[in-house]
Amino acid sequence: MKGLVIWILRGSESDESVLDELGKEIGDRGGRVEVFHSGTLKNLGMTDNHEAKVAACAMVASHGVVVIASGNKSSGIPSGPELAVREVSMDDLRDEVRRASFMRNLELGGLVPPPRHDVHPDEEKKILARLKELGYLEE
Amino acid sequence: MLVPPHGGRLTHRQAMAEEAAELLSRLEDSKALTLNSRERSDLEMIGNGAMSPLEGFMCREDYESVVEAMRLSSGPIWPLPVVFSVKNDDPRVQPGESVALKDESGTIRGEMVVEEIFEADLRHEALETLGTMDTSHPGAAYLNFLSGRYLGGKIRSIRWRDTETFPDYRLDPRETRVLFRAKGWNTVVAFQTRNPIHRAHEYIQKCAMETVDGLLLHPLVGDTKNDDIPADVRMRCYEIILEHYYPPDRVAVSVFPAAMRYAGPREAVFHALLRKNYGCSHFIVGRDHAGVGNFYGTYDAQMIFDRFDRDELGIVPMKFEHAFYCLKCGGMATSKTCPHDSDKHVFLAGRKVRSMLAEGKTPPPEFTRPEVAEVLMRAAGKGDDR
Repeated sequence: MKGLVIWILRGSESDESVLDELGKEIGDRGGRVEVFHSGTLKNLGMTDNHEAKVAACAMVASHGVVVIASGNKSSGIPSGPELAVREVSMDDLRDEVRRASFMRNLELGGLVPPPRHDVHPDEEKKILARLKELGYLEE
Repeated sequence: MLVPPHGGRLTHRQAMAEEAAELLSRLEDSKALTLNSRERSDLEMIGNGAMSPLEGFMCREDYESVVEAMRLSSGPIWPLPVVFSVKNDDPRVQPGESVALKDESGTIRGEMVVEEIFEADLRHEALETLGTMDTSHPGAAYLNFLSGRYLGGKIRSIRWRDTETFPDYRLDPRETRVLFRAKGWNTVVAFQTRNPIHRAHEYIQKCAMETVDGLLLHPLVGDTKNDDIPADVRMRCYEIILEHYYPPDRVAVSVFPAAMRYAGPREAVFHALLRKNYGCSHFIVGRDHAGVGNFYGTYDAQMIFDRFDRDELGIVPMKFEHAFYCLKCGGMATSKTCPHDSDKHVFLAGRKVRSMLAEGKTPPPEFTRPEVAEVLMRAAGKGDDR
């Protein structure tokens, strides 16, 4: 799978649990994922600033990994043949509908695997209703 | 638990509700390419996940790997190319472009993001996948008509329920999977045909039903040869026979929107893998499945399954002989179960049945249930109006 950097624009917030939740969702789908928290570079003994984080993210992602990181400004990493970059706001990821749409677009673009379940639980309810309407199942 | 989809995941590239509206509005000003009837069927089945793990029309690497080795370049078994052919009046497009896919009536059916444009050796494709270049074979005749230039790329499809044939029977793989789970079926056998149901089919289906939880009757309603019995007549035959002769809680009928390729053994594997995506654990393979004329050996479509590891296939082929009514046994049988000479067997080829119907003769009850015969006779009486 092509490498991907998901760069989350933090704005005034710094809640990093959103990064972890997104990482877990992609990991649950079977994607290789790495989450860069604010202290990750420091813990690795590296300088922790915007440029260093951008360079590290691009390098890791270029090996076919989904890298999730956040910053107060755009990463500036260009998308290319080996690496895709998607920027998204913290607010978008907090909103269930916008987050689902973001993930769906990544899936349709072949950047993250489809979900493991064959039918989403919400969709399953609608399908059951249709099957009853068509007479496949009793009311 | 149902069988997992082929390749492990059920893809879903069909744009739903708001997605479809957004997609249509975005495609309004895009270049448009025309889908022929087979490609339209393929688009629908890639979009709804029936062709999982495909996410679009094949690029060169997958195409060549499939033609040569019956596998996708990433490894999974895949016996037939699923390709989009450039037509003479299509606009020029470049890799990276997003294009609208329209059917022959001009309705937008989806989108393709073009990844690759490549030349194909259609004679080689015909020889490898169909075993012939003879244009009396409908699959070879189809290839003979193409430009030889294919476009590959991921697609999104749009479902137009209001223009679908058999909308009440058109379940996609997500729907059949939900249905099977709701019915408590873990093992399901699929039966496909492009012919009206007769007693030999019924016998085979019921033999299979003895060993599994449920039966999915899955008649093919995409393009077939002109002399095949029309799909609406076949569906009426199913409705009537289910009403009178099958336990309703153990059978479901839905349509399979694929177009026939008449690729015999390779298509038998193709049909099986697609049924696995619908949630079926078993697939009935008759003699000369998906064959035409004398292009394939009697057992080729059954033997090809032996070339693959059963776990890798992920669906069990149930191989059946032709069934017949034996006057001496007083019931349905096959050469595996009946010791009597063929003069005791009532067996009619499809061609013979068609000619009987054309002459206004009712097929015998040993061959077809009287309720089904009545449907066929009525349809034959309509002549060209069918």
